[in-house]
Amino acid sequence: MANRQVKDHEILSAIFAKMDVPAMTVAVGVLVALALFLATAVLLLQPVPTDYPVGTHLQDLANYLPGYAVTWQGGFVGALYGFFIGGLVGFAAAVYWNMTHYIALGVMLISSAELAD
Amino acid sequence: MGKYETMQTANDDLQEVNMKLLDAAIRFNAMMLGLTAGTLAAVLTYVATHASIAKWGVDSSNYLSLLAVFYPGYSVTSGGAWVGAFWAFVYFGTCSWLSYRLYGRVLGARVADSLLSTTPTDNPVLKPSVLRLHGASLGLALGAIAAIGLFCSTTWLVVRGTAGESVHAALLANYIPGYSVSIFGGLLGAAEIFGLVFIASVLLATIYNKIVKLRHKPH
Repeated sequence: MANRQVKDHEILSAIFAKMDVPAMTVAVGVLVALALFLATAVLLLQPVPTDYPVGTHLQDLANYLPGYAVTWQGGFVGALYGFFIGGLVGFAAAVYWNMTHYIALGVMLISSAELAD
Repeated sequence: MGKYETMQTANDDLQEVNMKLLDAAIRFNAMMLGLTAGTLAAVLTYVATHASIAKWGVDSSNYLSLLAVFYPGYSVTSGGAWVGAFWAFVYFGTCSWLSYRLYGRVLGARVADSLLSTTPTDNPVLKPSVLRLHGASLGLALGAIAAIGLFCSTTWLVVRGTAGESVHAALLANYIPGYSVSIFGGLLGAAEIFGLVFIASVLLATIYNKIVKLRHKPH
């Protein structure tokens, strides 16, 4: 990018650009799924004596996520939950982000119209 | 050197950028993000508290009550849910606001090239373009905030004299090797969490941008 003039409307376009809701839903979903799976896997891969209780605190997630456990199978179940919960958060964040921008723009347009009057 | 001059110096490959507009735009979006993240965190805290009450009753002393260490006045009660929502809004709103300021500062005048999946529209207000994420800048901003957050939380536990009893915080060592509830452990943890959040942010941006590219192919 060599010595190019950036016009005002380019800056405004970038700042008022809307977030892609499906893309943010999937991206956050994948990230949370991966995080939950890796959090489980890290505990399972630690060398511990036989019959030593692994991940007793993380195991408590089962109170909120039925079927989850600190096992390889539970890790996959957790990843599914993670995708769903993360997707929900990503969806809400993208929708809310776009909504606040629309509202702010609406307020600005109304204000500028009043000023013009 | 003023803030506009600093931004201009950081982006000297670009000419004639309206730095005043750019700074105002970054401030506006930082406020929007602070509002978005703060509200989501507040709702999440409120819902989690009520879910906990519904499952274990008002007298439950579960992990959620540990939030009181950082949220003064918080408890797993109906009233405490509002207090928790307030603090969550303050903490997450401030952190998000700060992270966008940092993100915008790092991106600077490259904002248009980095953030748009389509060419800028003539009317950005009524016909908005689609946003892209810049992974490295996002990683730098979120990583820095996460690092500062972990260090401050650890330091707070040390300062209030409960470092030895903070068994749950110490469990972070499972994921952040070398972390402990001490000043040195906090510093080490901050450096490591910066790396982890940086990688996660780059991954998030990559997935998001790929999907945006697929969904908004130029005709």
